[in-house]
Amino acid sequence: MRQLAMVIDLNKCIGCQTCTLACKSQWTDRGGREFMYWNHVETEPGKGYPRDWKNAGGGWEGEQLRPGRLPRLHEDYGYPAEFNYEEALFEPTEKPLRPIQEMQWGPNWEEDQGAGEFPNSYFFYLPRLCNHCTKPACLAACPRQAIYKREEDGIVLIDQDRCRGYRYCVAACPYKKIYFNPTTGMSEKCIFCYPRVERGTPPACAYQCVGRARHVSYLDDREGPVHRLVNEWKVALPLLPQHGTQPNVYYVPPLSPPAFDADGRPGDKPRLPENYLEELFGPGVHDALATLEAEIERKGRGEASEVLDILIAYRHGDMFRLDRGGQQGGQGDA
Amino acid sequence: MDRREFLKGTGYCGLALMFGGPLTALAVNNPAQAAAAAARGDRAWEALYREELLGTLGDAQGFAFHCSNCQGNCAWKVYARDGVVTREEQVAGYPQIHPRIPDANPRGCNKGIIHSKEMYQGDRLLYPLKRGGERGKGQWQRITWEQAFEEIAEKVVETLDEKGLEALMVYTGTGILSQGRRAGPLRLGALLGAQRMYPASAVGDMFTGASLAYGVTNIGHSLDAWFEAKTIFLWAMNPIVTRIPDAHYLTEARYNGARIYTITPDYNPSARSATDWVPVRPGTDAYLAMSLLHVLLRDNHIDEAFVREQTDLPFLVRTDTGELLRHRDLRPRGRDNVFYAWDEAADRAVPMPGTAGHHRETLRLGDIRPALGGTFEVQGRDGETIEVTTVLERVRAEAARYPPEETREITGVHPELVERMAADLAGAERAIINIGFAMHKYVSGTMTCWAAALACALTGHAGDRGGLDTENNWSLGGLGDLSNPKPARFGSGFFTEWLNGDMEKSMRRHYPDEHLRKTAGYDSDDVRRHVEEKKALGTSYFGRPSALLLFADNMFRRNKDESHYRETMLSGLDIFVNINHRMDSTALWADYVLPAKSHYESWDIRGELGYHRYCNITVPPKGLAPVGETRSEWEICLGLARAIARAAKQRGIEQIADPDFLEQEGDMAAPVIRDLARLEEDFTLGGTLPDDEAVVRWIMENVPAIAPWTPEDGAKHGFVILNEQAGYTSPLAANRPYYSFERNVYLREPYSTESGRQQFFVDHPTFRKLGCTVPTAMGPLRPPSFPLAFYTPHTRHGIHSQWRGNQELLRLQRGEPYIWLNPNTAAERGIGEDDPVRVFNDVGEFHCKVKLVPGVPPGAVVMDHAWEPYQFRKRLGLNNAVAGVLSLVELVDDWGHLTFSPNWDGNMIAFETSVEVERSDGGVQ
Repeated sequence: MRQLAMVIDLNKCIGCQTCTLACKSQWTDRGGREFMYWNHVETEPGKGYPRDWKNAGGGWEGEQLRPGRLPRLHEDYGYPAEFNYEEALFEPTEKPLRPIQEMQWGPNWEEDQGAGEFPNSYFFYLPRLCNHCTKPACLAACPRQAIYKREEDGIVLIDQDRCRGYRYCVAACPYKKIYFNPTTGMSEKCIFCYPRVERGTPPACAYQCVGRARHVSYLDDREGPVHRLVNEWKVALPLLPQHGTQPNVYYVPPLSPPAFDADGRPGDKPRLPENYLEELFGPGVHDALATLEAEIERKGRGEASEVLDILIAYRHGDMFRLDRGGQQGGQGDA
Repeated sequence: MDRREFLKGTGYCGLALMFGGPLTALAVNNPAQAAAAAARGDRAWEALYREELLGTLGDAQGFAFHCSNCQGNCAWKVYARDGVVTREEQVAGYPQIHPRIPDANPRGCNKGIIHSKEMYQGDRLLYPLKRGGERGKGQWQRITWEQAFEEIAEKVVETLDEKGLEALMVYTGTGILSQGRRAGPLRLGALLGAQRMYPASAVGDMFTGASLAYGVTNIGHSLDAWFEAKTIFLWAMNPIVTRIPDAHYLTEARYNGARIYTITPDYNPSARSATDWVPVRPGTDAYLAMSLLHVLLRDNHIDEAFVREQTDLPFLVRTDTGELLRHRDLRPRGRDNVFYAWDEAADRAVPMPGTAGHHRETLRLGDIRPALGGTFEVQGRDGETIEVTTVLERVRAEAARYPPEETREITGVHPELVERMAADLAGAERAIINIGFAMHKYVSGTMTCWAAALACALTGHAGDRGGLDTENNWSLGGLGDLSNPKPARFGSGFFTEWLNGDMEKSMRRHYPDEHLRKTAGYDSDDVRRHVEEKKALGTSYFGRPSALLLFADNMFRRNKDESHYRETMLSGLDIFVNINHRMDSTALWADYVLPAKSHYESWDIRGELGYHRYCNITVPPKGLAPVGETRSEWEICLGLARAIARAAKQRGIEQIADPDFLEQEGDMAAPVIRDLARLEEDFTLGGTLPDDEAVVRWIMENVPAIAPWTPEDGAKHGFVILNEQAGYTSPLAANRPYYSFERNVYLREPYSTESGRQQFFVDHPTFRKLGCTVPTAMGPLRPPSFPLAFYTPHTRHGIHSQWRGNQELLRLQRGEPYIWLNPNTAAERGIGEDDPVRVFNDVGEFHCKVKLVPGVPPGAVVMDHAWEPYQFRKRLGLNNAVAGVLSLVELVDDWGHLTFSPNWDGNMIAFETSVEVERSDGGVQ
């Protein structure tokens, strides 16, 4: 099986939500999916989206699936607010424009909040989508065998003919990136834009990422950015690898400006605590950050750096290699 | 069909029933399924999502950009099916300019990407509306376009006839800044002699510090230049949020080894992306700037050759009067604008070539070697001895007052950080200081920006070595005949708004005179006096209008002392017509609301924005169905022109002479004639400009910077590339980023200043009175009567108020306005996360929610600006608690390059207000 995979560079993600909305207008603005964000960006640290997903179980414990919880619509996902435009703007009233039902949560509820104490507070943006795992807990959990992984690209799909909406997959996913569609009565999730990929166009969230943070190529394509960043340079790491699902979305961990000492003097330690980053990205995060810092220093001295040139991505098209023959891909027609 | 039926619905009933049960724990253990399922063959169902993709790709494709005040200017593909837009996606086809500079793809952000939702959203204006009841009461009657045109025209003609041409204001706000769509209202207003404000100043986006230094307010580089820089200061600027399409050049610059200092009071997204965050206290930036100068001068980080030739730092200053030494000081009937330096070679004062009054229009010094320091004596015109020193000596003396160890108490910035910033600025081959639009929202912003310009000058950062960047704009010469066929009454923005809205009241209420004198060096009476002097010049203010045709401007949202401004403005208006694509907080109060097309619905072109070199073209998808009865601005202006001509003829005033403007006819000067009877013919240029497509074609044919591209090229790619003529102060080279001032630095052409150089000494009486003849520090003006500093940076989720009410974007926020508070500041007031609060002071109040953000400094209230007032309780927006104070320096007029023009006007000061916050009951009415 080949695996199409993604690297998201958290130093280039600017939290703008363009990916979120590219995905929304491509797939989830209709048909009972309105509340879903197959791709979203949350601010870390935080409870995230759906709320408290990190404590909602799922994933593997050895070869056993760990129990998981179903997120609630209003409290954990957030009801997709509709607004009283007609009443507020075209009728005699003093009422403000507001959600018809007050929002309790949302995909970006904690935007720019983070943690820490001023002036040493910290945050970064964490874009999340289905990880198209190599060992998907959702797939194993489905009593209908409706979930499968495609041989040609490793994309994990929920067969919309077979699914009966039992939602075992929703609970089993440790990333809580599967959603139950109340209109169709089936579960749905990120499909890695396979209809775009099949036409030679990268997934909407990646191709339309204005921060140029996302690379897409086959893991075994030695010329592709994903292989080079993940396997050669080891600067891209899976999120919460301890869940055992072997994700195929990888993250370049975030750098941060130094914290200030008690006297207000900038120190030499990044303000993002490294143990916190290790919890998210595993022990490889230390070497990954050290590699990035050393390579940036080289660049600063005017020397070449292969890994930074990949991350810089001089041409947008270089970030994507979708052609199964391993040739240049990425400039599709969609 | 009513409004609701027309607009695309997203019915979502019943969803709640499917969720909301108790938490459910589910698990099965069936790992063996993995292998079995992977091998399956039956995948016909996958056609489902393939069909959906085809659905979004539609049956027609056009191109568009979003012509609002974001300056991003990004080319998009727009897909439509059955005449309805289905989706948009960035073109992502801009060519790379050089293999070592990252390309500009895919330009386009979270706002652009949801415009297809916005254009069919419930706030969209669909039909011409006429007010039924009182203004602002929401009682609308649908009328026909013909009725609207006829009634408006009659009132306009009556106004022109009875109250004069200046009683009509035709103002196009920053909701439309593209050359195509903006042309209609500009042209109509110019033909009528209507007054028009300067938008950059009305919204407070002037960089007066840059104007002082260069005589030009918009200067800098194309933003790909970030990638080449080794030191970058982002000062009062949050480009990770506000320059989304170009932000990658910053993150990529960091990977390229750049040191990036983000100077901002809160730990914002741009601070997080920087190598260093400089946590300056709100409004104290000028002290930090002076400390930077202090270190640069102390350590002699001075590019002497650059400073001698390119700046006024060697110019001589009289020690007796504190004024520059001028020709008239030395010769009877001498000139005012010839200045001197001390020539070390000849050991005497010599007039400097290139100054405004000098016959040699070059910066080339020849044999002159201007002294940078020292005290000298010259003989005055009456034989007296005049002691003189240099501007640099004055700068040194001023900067000496601000060692970083001492300013630290004010700014909160550690001296080590200041030292390192100065060293990195001086040591970088290419360094850039970006000044954001937030800087001049403080009165001290002028000084901070001027000092930053001086820091660049001392270290020789100009031309392709970088330097100051406010915002580069391109030169689209050739547009004049289209937008200004006759002279318009072009007025100051900030000044007009301040007077029209009677903001003096809130200034006097919020700022005790004693406090103003202490912090700013002037008081409210001084402001009043200077306002009267400026008014008396008659060049930048034309009185409160009694007829207002307002295009895409949200003046009741953006102006200070919000509700008083609105009431004052409305009280003077006999007719208020609002033309917009959506119902905004200003349109709510109009007499007539005319529905305009929005970004995808008519041909358009935009190319003046200097962040990149691409000129984007809008070509609607074939067969796009009109949204309601909307018309383009050009069509609306044409309808108005036709109706005004008819009404004028009926009234018997076919022509109005306008003696304020003279037209040369042979040897004779005659008043400009406002030919109302011919308005339609003049508007359409004798019928050659019937519609938006014709306008775009005219622009592409007449603007030299667009050559050789044709409308067909634009329609094929969605954009064309500007040529080298697009640069104002440098040529725009095809294969490298653009930098300002190459013509000055390399060709020695004088700058557009009185000194002909980068200017750091201004001896206008106001500057002398305030003690700021050279850049100096100045603190925040906010009064101590309320404990919290209130500032309102640009938001990620809107371009000012555009898209602020967008459903998709509000779902990515919290659905309603909120302030940001430091958790400690909130706790002291018993306020918790997401609590409702009342924000208030002696100007007014507003209600909203709270978001606790540890990156916000204690003692500050931060709020994304430009929420629509109609999103707040009682529809009172955040400017209801902001006072309308003015900067005395920005009231200077009629002095050299400080004379009202697009390069010299002032700002609506927005960040100098104090507030208090308390928990509220959370009601909405």
